[in-house]
Amino acid sequence: MNRTWALRAVIAVVLATGPSAAAWSAQPEDAAGRVVYERWCSHCHDPGLRHPGTNALTVKYRGQKSGVIREWTDLTPELVRFWVRNGISVMAPFRKTEITDAELAALARYLTRTGALPGG
Amino acid sequence: MRVPPGVSETTFRRALAEFAKVVGAEWVFSSDADLELYRDAYTPFRDRPEERLASAALAPDSTEQVQQIARIANRYRIPLYPISTGRNLGYGGAAPAATGSVVLDLKRMNRILEVNERHAYALVEPGVSYFDLHRHIKERGLKLWIDCPDPGWGSVMGNAIDRGGGYTMAQYRNHFDAHCGMEVVLPDGELLRTGMGAIPNATTWQQYKTGCGPWIDGLFSQSNFGIVTKMGFWLMPEPEAYMRCTVSVPRYQDLMPLVDTLNTLENSRIVTGFPDIATPLLAYPPVGQVQLWNETGPPNLAPEHQALLRDAKLGYSPALEAYGIRQGIPYWQLWVSFYGPMEVIEAQWQATQRHFRRIDGASFSVVDQVRMPVDESRIFDYHEPEFGVPSLRAFSIGARSPWNPTPSHGHMWFSPIIPRTGEAIIEANRVFGEAARDLGMPLFTSFTMPACFWERAFIFILATPVTEDADTNRRYVDGFHKLIEIGGQHGWGEYRTAPMFQQAVMDVYGFNNHALMRFHETLKDAIDPQGILSPGRYAIWPKHLRSTRK
Repeated sequence: MNRTWALRAVIAVVLATGPSAAAWSAQPEDAAGRVVYERWCSHCHDPGLRHPGTNALTVKYRGQKSGVIREWTDLTPELVRFWVRNGISVMAPFRKTEITDAELAALARYLTRTGALPGG
Repeated sequence: MRVPPGVSETTFRRALAEFAKVVGAEWVFSSDADLELYRDAYTPFRDRPEERLASAALAPDSTEQVQQIARIANRYRIPLYPISTGRNLGYGGAAPAATGSVVLDLKRMNRILEVNERHAYALVEPGVSYFDLHRHIKERGLKLWIDCPDPGWGSVMGNAIDRGGGYTMAQYRNHFDAHCGMEVVLPDGELLRTGMGAIPNATTWQQYKTGCGPWIDGLFSQSNFGIVTKMGFWLMPEPEAYMRCTVSVPRYQDLMPLVDTLNTLENSRIVTGFPDIATPLLAYPPVGQVQLWNETGPPNLAPEHQALLRDAKLGYSPALEAYGIRQGIPYWQLWVSFYGPMEVIEAQWQATQRHFRRIDGASFSVVDQVRMPVDESRIFDYHEPEFGVPSLRAFSIGARSPWNPTPSHGHMWFSPIIPRTGEAIIEANRVFGEAARDLGMPLFTSFTMPACFWERAFIFILATPVTEDADTNRRYVDGFHKLIEIGGQHGWGEYRTAPMFQQAVMDVYGFNNHALMRFHETLKDAIDPQGILSPGRYAIWPKHLRSTRK
């Protein structure tokens, strides 16, 4: 199957089965997840166009939403897991020797906590 | 279940069970989902028969485990393919050179064993990234710099073993040259230390490179003769200051004396930092600004300038040259940088200007003067690796950006070495430019400049995009092969390449009926008679596969 279509199909399923917005009440920040974010994600996804992930997402969403993933409120743990293990464009997937399943779960908690804002 | 070539599923399962006893079942990966993570994310052959796929992956945590794994692999004839951080993107990623190999993922071996400030060196394991080593040094406030390539998540050791480069002083930015001492697990599981490390109570393993007798470290780079488990690196003492300056010259022919003068100054250690040659008139940036261009787009050129560029041949026309002189746009602009005490680097800059004044019309400017420690919160004001600060900005190459609406799926680096002369830059543009146009390759499309990573030679490092379209990818791969061949006809060879091109590249190194490859094969047969280590890496195949795989 064409990779893009495979991705879209999976995303559609994930979106359809993800938790509702109401489920993400404000929770305390996941400290372990923040460590994973800072080690593996921040270099591309922190605010500012010197971060290629943020630059790409800013252009992709054209003002519909932020290019900074920590500002997103529609991320689900399933989506975080999907992108980390599948990659996209020039972002290669992350192996379990880099981000273990437990670390990935913590990262997903960190990124899906309402208000996981930069510097927050 | 994918199995190694010539190994039955039963045998393979038995071997995996033995491996699990060594590393723990948690660190043996053989499910389809887990093996997805050991595909080359940048392969142009995704889901095609040519894609090289692992049969399993193992992640040991110690040298002793690596030794045990090598012994088991010999018993069952299982091919192992070691990776360090697995981020050799554009050169093969985490995938093996031969399908069916078991990837030996050394990422968990991520200990920084020593950073010695007094003698300015580090001793690291394969899984240590540039980010890790940089953080370790900063947290301890040590007055040392690392030298890193653009992508900071790469392995300090793996990059050196694949002979990558960085951006500080020449003796550090050649990462293999900057190493001092290795620990290697040989294919039979034997443990070896090189250089002074061969003395049982060595006191200078990271201080004197060669020891006594043949110096064999090079054999463990770009090869399959051993699994490097520790490696020492000389680090740069933090300089007092950094200065970056430009030398601009107005005419096309000025390129020749510009390069020659640079060479003399750099080989005399007067210019000490990374030199970088741009051409404002031909709108090609210095390497240090490629990322800025990727992020924000190239500068807008006046319509007259654009028209003149279209009509130029090999980057030249009398009208274009006259336009540049009229508008004050330099034909060539050399960026030079200096590290050291301010009074020393100011004197070096004075001497540098005196040497370049022999080029009529040369002009000079100081771009940055920075006293250390640099404020790392403002590091993006500079080209951060020139301060030994790792980042991932390089991934702007191919990523979606305001001026690139169609992101790529990665890239294949085309990276030939050419002589360090102006004449060679022009000749390589003629030869490769013509060929790339004929082949429909998006490389050398206008006048392209090489980089100055290596002190004595130029290198082009050009990203061949990987697209979503299999036919386009196939065309680019075929074109890449053709460019390798054409380069070889002109005496130019790649410095490093992805497994899919390693045979073609090594064929270029064919002096005297491939005496070099025949020597590699003689060594392979002696050191790894069962052929268990990285079959096919840099086109070195074990005896039992040699006739069928070449």
